[in-house]
Amino acid sequence: MFIFRTVLAIAGEDFSVIASDTRLSQGFSIHSRDMPKTYKLTGSTVLGACGFHGDVLTLTKVLQARLKIYEHDHNEKMSTPAIAAMLSTMLYYRRFFPYYVYNIVAGIDDQGKGCVFSFDPVGSYERESYRAGGSASAMLQPLLDNQIGFKNQENVTKTSLSQEKAVNLVKDCVHLGSGEGHLYW
Amino acid sequence: MFLTRSEYDRGVNTFSPEGRLFQVEYAIEAIKLGSTAIGIQTNEGVVLAVEKRVTSPLIEPASIEKIFEVDDHIACAMSGLIADSRTLIDRARVEAQNHWFTYNEKMSVESVTQAVSNLALQFGDDDADPGAMSRPFGVALLFAGIDKKGPQLFHMDPSGTFIQYDAKAIGSGSEGAQQALQDVYHKSMTLKEACKSALTILKQVMEEKLNSTNVEMGTVTPQRKFHMFTKEELEDVIKDI
Repeated sequence: MFIFRTVLAIAGEDFSVIASDTRLSQGFSIHSRDMPKTYKLTGSTVLGACGFHGDVLTLTKVLQARLKIYEHDHNEKMSTPAIAAMLSTMLYYRRFFPYYVYNIVAGIDDQGKGCVFSFDPVGSYERESYRAGGSASAMLQPLLDNQIGFKNQENVTKTSLSQEKAVNLVKDCVHLGSGEGHLYW
Repeated sequence: MFLTRSEYDRGVNTFSPEGRLFQVEYAIEAIKLGSTAIGIQTNEGVVLAVEKRVTSPLIEPASIEKIFEVDDHIACAMSGLIADSRTLIDRARVEAQNHWFTYNEKMSVESVTQAVSNLALQFGDDDADPGAMSRPFGVALLFAGIDKKGPQLFHMDPSGTFIQYDAKAIGSGSEGAQQALQDVYHKSMTLKEACKSALTILKQVMEEKLNSTNVEMGTVTPQRKFHMFTKEELEDVIKDI
């Protein structure tokens, strides 16, 4: 199975950042170094999907179709929370033969606030302020916990996250997770 | 008049040479036998008011229901064949819940109306999908609700055509009532004024004397969502008209 590896997203007050590495691999062999796994769904929503590439292709294709149908039916673009809710039902309808895909949806909600939704492959989802997914998530999530969640720090003032810091952090994470900074990963 | 129709007024999906669908036109006529219903949209919310025909003193008036809740934020008033309206209201409710289930958001008033109008068109003589009707529905509906665009009122007729209105009357007294609505309606109307106007106009077009048991009134507002007037609340409005 061709596997995609790292996706991560961070939500700020009025922005969200999402990024992925670009590598497509199977075990130790690298099939491609130029395969991004973030998909622009609407002007205010981006999907990050990692896992089995074949399922990612089908899932994104079905999603694109559903977005168009919604737009035709209701004369407006889907909001990020609505896309997240729909994705959850799409995943759960495949409960007994799931899409082997770990999804993260990032965007702007109806109030203009940044939002990130993370999913398991069968549709359980949650709105969070930051999340790392894919095979590098075990390495990246603790880093985000520390840097954004201020976990395991004492006497720290919890400042709100600036867009600049979020972007820099995401760049560092992707660099770590992509394999450039680490053997095997 | 009826002679020219004799050949083509049977099949529900056969156009007459003049390009008309008689059964659909007859269904629209059927609405004009129904009780009067009025809807008024204001900036504060939408009001629906209907007349209930209590034809016998032995009827339990509370069992006649002509304003329905479709979802928290959408109500629907009907005129025409009550039994037909049940099917359409059922569909509206299912569509609204489906939308909420899939998208975790309230369905817009226009989309609910669109969904119901799709059902209204699904009539045919034969080989129609199971559950579809063999004739057009003999009902007109007024959908009132609140969504992202604010308070809205839609009218749908048996042909499946739906149009947004500031104020609309359907049923037997609709002609007079619509004219009266045109005279009293203004864009800055308050909801309270609208409720009073709705009942005043109903009173003018109703055959029986209007009282708190032979009318029904409901509002949809951003604060209270759908609210049906109680007998006491109705009496409160009626004493001022």
